[in-house]
Amino acid sequence: MPITDEMIQTATRELYSRSLRKVPEDAKEGLRAAMRTESNELARRTLDLQLKSAELAERKDRFVCSDSGVPTYFVKIGSKVELGCDLKASIRRGYEELVDTIEPPLLKHVTNPLTQERGYHGKDMPIVSYDFESGADYIEMVCSPKALGSGRWAALELFTFPSLEQIETYVLDVAIKAGAQHCPPVVMGVGIGGSFDHCASLAKKQTLRPIGQVNPEPILAQMEERLKSAVNALGFGPMGTGGDTTVLGVHIDYSSGHGFTPVAVCFNCWINRRTSVKIWNDGRMEWGE
Amino acid sequence: MSLREHDLTLPIGQDAIKELRAGDLVYLSGEIFATAGLPTHDRLLRCIDGQEELPFDMRNGALFHLGSLNEEAEDGSLRIVYMNPTTSTRFNGHMPRLIPGLGLRMTGGKGGLSAESARAMAEAGCVYLGFLGGGAEIITAAIRKVTGIGWPEMISHYRIARIEVERLGPLTVGIDAHGNSIYDTTLEAAAGRREEILARMRTQREGT
Ligand code: SF4
Repeated sequence: MPITDEMIQTATRELYSRSLRKVPEDAKEGLRAAMRTESNELARRTLDLQLKSAELAERKDRFVCSDSGVPTYFVKIGSKVELGCDLKASIRRGYEELVDTIEPPLLKHVTNPLTQERGYHGKDMPIVSYDFESGADYIEMVCSPKALGSGRWAALELFTFPSLEQIETYVLDVAIKAGAQHCPPVVMGVGIGGSFDHCASLAKKQTLRPIGQVNPEPILAQMEERLKSAVNALGFGPMGTGGDTTVLGVHIDYSSGHGFTPVAVCFNCWINRRTSVKIWNDGRMEWGE
Repeated sequence: MSLREHDLTLPIGQDAIKELRAGDLVYLSGEIFATAGLPTHDRLLRCIDGQEELPFDMRNGALFHLGSLNEEAEDGSLRIVYMNPTTSTRFNGHMPRLIPGLGLRMTGGKGGLSAESARAMAEAGCVYLGFLGGGAEIITAAIRKVTGIGWPEMISHYRIARIEVERLGPLTVGIDAHGNSIYDTTLEAAAGRREEILARMRTQREGT
């Protein structure tokens, strides 16, 4: 039985809707762990309030944040998948159905950058990137809606044969510039190398990695630890009123490239919106975070 | 150090505002004004310049950077479905004139405002209250009723909503009326620690 238009539409709708209502478990665990180590009393109050807010939204089946961002999807297609629909068209239809039916309704955040007009629809919406997975008999879809609050602090710079020190200094400086505008504690995604576009995509995908997962590349595992304690030592704290908890994790990936080395940095705010689903050929759907 | 908490009611006088210190927590009751629109702030400036009528008198009141889904029901009653702060620094260009121009005692949202706004607040006797980003349910739960919508022809989160709230909070005094801004102090402290942090990372790299 091939994967149908109906399944893809359901996945597209549900992923966005779920990501707005539920803070992932690992992010909540990160906040709880931070409550135990945070030395600043006001910061502990904020962490506690964040956990309460997450719990309340989940219990009442409402949005954690009113800013639902723009819809961003990552799709991975297994090589053994039988596809019974026009994938791109199904995702688009699923999104259109969602904005018409979601309860409570979304605010109009999709913006035309040339005219500043805002609505639910627009050129290239939803933003979808496609990839393949060898040997898999499922499609994996991840949705991570992005809003201005954390979206606008992403940065990318091109270096030539940078040392680890140059790379880490740049990442720290991006964190200083962002300050606490992105609703900390955040997850930072970092990409190193490849090409301009590939590097940005590596950084973005790292914000989707579960908090606490150790990087299999030893050089990066150490760099992640160093940068995490460095950024936390800056002292911005939860929602920027001071404290030891500005990041819950710094997640890094790299790609080989030429001597020009892009370094990209981006952020996911404390609500860590991301939801995933695997859709199998036999129609099974498995939801994840 | 234990945190200082205040229960305040709007409209509010300058003396009560001066009691507040950066880092205090506030619970707010009474009527607030909320909008998240950049075009709305442009329009408010035009009102101050006498080119348009203000929809509400906000003197001694609170104008917050909050986006809301507000609806007019069929019977004409107003309702807020959810509400949450937006980034205040987007209005850095507006607030230094709007604070004295509208006679505000409180403004707020998330992320704070510039040093220029903090100066305007100290002169006018106004504070900035920080809301939790991603706190929609906590904030919405404090809403009692919507008592007016200004500029309803704009999209929902650009309108100005006048809302009666009960114990809205906890909100953090991010900038007080004495020129103290937590946002500026943390930014300065972070910049001040940069060299020391980089040196520590260098030692850590060499040790591995
Ligand atoms: S940064 Fe995140 S939590 Fe903060 S307002 Fe934006 S979407 Fe909400």
